[in-house]
Amino acid sequence: MSDTLKIGDQELGSRLFLGTGKFSSTQAMIEAVKASGTELVTVALRRFNRAQAEDDLYGPLAELKTVRLMPNTSGAMNAKEAIRAAMLGRELSKSPFVKLEIHPNPHHLLPDPIETYEAAIELVKQDFLVLPYIPADPVLAKRLEDIGCAAVMPLGAAIGTGKGLSTADMIKIIVCDANVPVVVDAGLRAPSEAACAMEMGCDAVLVNSAIAAAENPAAMGGAFKTGVEAGRAARLAGLMPTSEVAVASSPLTSFLSNDD
Amino acid sequence: MKLTVNGETHEHTGNGTIDALLEELGANKAHTALMVNGNVIASEDWKNTALNENDEVEMLVFVGGG
Repeated sequence: MSDTLKIGDQELGSRLFLGTGKFSSTQAMIEAVKASGTELVTVALRRFNRAQAEDDLYGPLAELKTVRLMPNTSGAMNAKEAIRAAMLGRELSKSPFVKLEIHPNPHHLLPDPIETYEAAIELVKQDFLVLPYIPADPVLAKRLEDIGCAAVMPLGAAIGTGKGLSTADMIKIIVCDANVPVVVDAGLRAPSEAACAMEMGCDAVLVNSAIAAAENPAAMGGAFKTGVEAGRAARLAGLMPTSEVAVASSPLTSFLSNDD
Repeated sequence: MKLTVNGETHEHTGNGTIDALLEELGANKAHTALMVNGNVIASEDWKNTALNENDEVEMLVFVGGG
């Protein structure tokens, strides 16, 4: 059965998106990308420096023919800067996707919802497929959907913390109300958490630190692939209802204690 | 021609186009995005875009990011 993820007019065969930061080397990142089966990876913009030419990921990623790029707006402190970063990213990537992220406070890196909303309005007008990184706020998620964002990306926990789905209850509400894909972005540490997000009805997850900072990033990329696929399959299969009291799965006939 | 490139002063000695500046700095044109005075300049316009004294140029590449 085909189970492609549709974001705007784009179709993706994998529901695992990967960030490319924090890897020990470009080679380690490429191996993790391949093992994960992802078809969408994020990249950031940085000033050109001839002395650090090996950090330029355009070439290595362009060789992965099944992978599309989603430039992020990391570093933007406000809507104006994010719009500028998005324009630069599209100019270079020729990709319609943009991960809109505006987190001005380096202490917690939590998204600025007001600037994010303002930037999203303009980027939608400019025909981007806007995927905003947001607090797990159902009202904001709905407002971003209403103005034309192609998906919403609520955080599971703060970036790089590995605290998992600490916002699970709010994400469930977002999923319940959303008419666009919901992607859990940030906070995940274990493939079981990715599976859990998919079982909750999320459409995809975006993972970076959990894979890049693993002892074996390629193996962890493969493990997240399996987790996402298992969670998605379980969602489609339909989880059994829960019960407050035990419901026997074996017959409780009393033949063993029959004294007659 | 005196320019500011990525925040640092640069004396450009070429013909004053963006293309010439990129060649002078050894940048891979296919891997570079560029702004002049805050305006994004599309790569197809680099050949014919003349830089002016004291322009502020930002040259950017893709690096790892989440």
